[in-house]
Amino acid sequence: MADKEVVILGVGMTKFGRVTGRNPMEMAREAGLMALKDAGVDYKDIQIGFCAHCNQPIGTGTDCFAELGMTGIPVTNVELACASQSRGVMLAAYMIAAGTYDMAMVIGIEKMPRGMVPILGEQSDMPYPFLMGLMPMPGAYAMMAQRHMHTYGTKREHFAKAAEKAHRNGSLNPNATYRDVYTLEQILNSRLIADPITLYMCSANADGATATVVCSKKMAKKYTTKPMLLVGWAGGTPVYEKGGMLAEGPTEMLGHKVYDMSELGPKDVDVMQVHDAFSPGEIFTLEELGFCPKGEGGPFVWEGNTEIKGKIPVNTDGGLVSCGHPIGATGGRMIAELSWQLRGLAGERQVKNPKVALLHNQGLGGTNVMMFKM
Amino acid sequence: MATSQKKRVPIKQGLFKVPADREKGYLIGSRCKKCGDCFYPKRAVCANCYSQEMEEVALSTRGKIYTYTIARTSYPGVPLTAPFITAQVELPEKVQVLSLITGIDFDKVKIGTDVELYFWKVREDEEGNEVMAFAFKPVGT
Repeated sequence: MADKEVVILGVGMTKFGRVTGRNPMEMAREAGLMALKDAGVDYKDIQIGFCAHCNQPIGTGTDCFAELGMTGIPVTNVELACASQSRGVMLAAYMIAAGTYDMAMVIGIEKMPRGMVPILGEQSDMPYPFLMGLMPMPGAYAMMAQRHMHTYGTKREHFAKAAEKAHRNGSLNPNATYRDVYTLEQILNSRLIADPITLYMCSANADGATATVVCSKKMAKKYTTKPMLLVGWAGGTPVYEKGGMLAEGPTEMLGHKVYDMSELGPKDVDVMQVHDAFSPGEIFTLEELGFCPKGEGGPFVWEGNTEIKGKIPVNTDGGLVSCGHPIGATGGRMIAELSWQLRGLAGERQVKNPKVALLHNQGLGGTNVMMFKM
Repeated sequence: MATSQKKRVPIKQGLFKVPADREKGYLIGSRCKKCGDCFYPKRAVCANCYSQEMEEVALSTRGKIYTYTIARTSYPGVPLTAPFITAQVELPEKVQVLSLITGIDFDKVKIGTDVELYFWKVREDEEGNEVMAFAFKPVGT
């Protein structure tokens, strides 16, 4: 690679909302224009585009970018379930680091249906668990949570604490879908979805769009004197393990790759975004990325270490649980929050003077880990 | 010849053999002839050593609950309606199978419970065949 660092020059996002009925193109345009303005870049200077989405029709990428201008640039759709947008940013980063392009834009867009994420595809092609309805979406997280409780003595209250903090942070975030604050009791006593996961530990489908402008360090000099650098990134899919359970991506391995690439480690990280599609996710990920020993994620969260004023603030914007989850756009929301945190623009949610930020975005097998530095 | 003999058919081909006559039903797995690792459902290429020399095997009908949850929500239009226990069952071949668990109260189910395979009728199809699925229940119940 010519340069292993690239710049996150601008970010944008719409307010996330539950089944707003907003037109996807209108949302993509709003987020895109916001990111361009934030970057100080004209659309004609964008050289390549990626559009992340999962439930939108064929041609969504070209249509979204056409809302901003028609300059003939190559546009590619990216799908990696809940981790689509951050994968789009990674693809842009590889191309910029290789010297192929200097300026890219990644849009994430999703208009979601109500309820649980639907099962798509021909019924005859469906795997047995889906055909039967054996694995509703919280099921995998719930089973991992049960195993964690069995192996390490983690308690329901630990998961509830992660949810309580997420809702409290989200109450400070005008872009979040849900801004109500709940007590531990309210969370534990909310409707059971898949034991031990209750309703208020779940992210809900939402509509929304996000956008990220990525550029080379050389190009960034024209626009800013204090660039937010993407200094390490790695993506992956599950690794076979004999007798192993259904696994999401290999978060631990990706963490090591990113720590090697960035020459930064957990001790250096000041603020973090992790994939909490369901609250136990925060606890698993803290362990996998080396922020606490295996099995101690529950007490680590319980003691308040992941609060905005804690040792390692996690999901300062409320995470998926409070922000809601427009699948294809979520990665861009994580990047936007980290960008605002590193630039001191996070308002009431601001972490004190952060310099290094880590991102973990995961979706049905695919996982991305990214390290940012100011 | 008019026959009204009901046939038992699996809800999806290639996953399990439904019990017929004197033959017991079983889950169809595959075993790698090179490294010996087993898989469920079947694979054409070994995930451990990438060999394509795979053979079909009848997997053990007993296992242990590795982990579980109680599904309190369900999708519309599928056979299983909440609430029900869904679990990863670990078989002696070091294979995990996602399965419905029956015959245990929700507050009694726990990791490590010994369970055994059985088959149940989901519905009858247009030709009157019994459409079958599998589940596990505690051994000896």
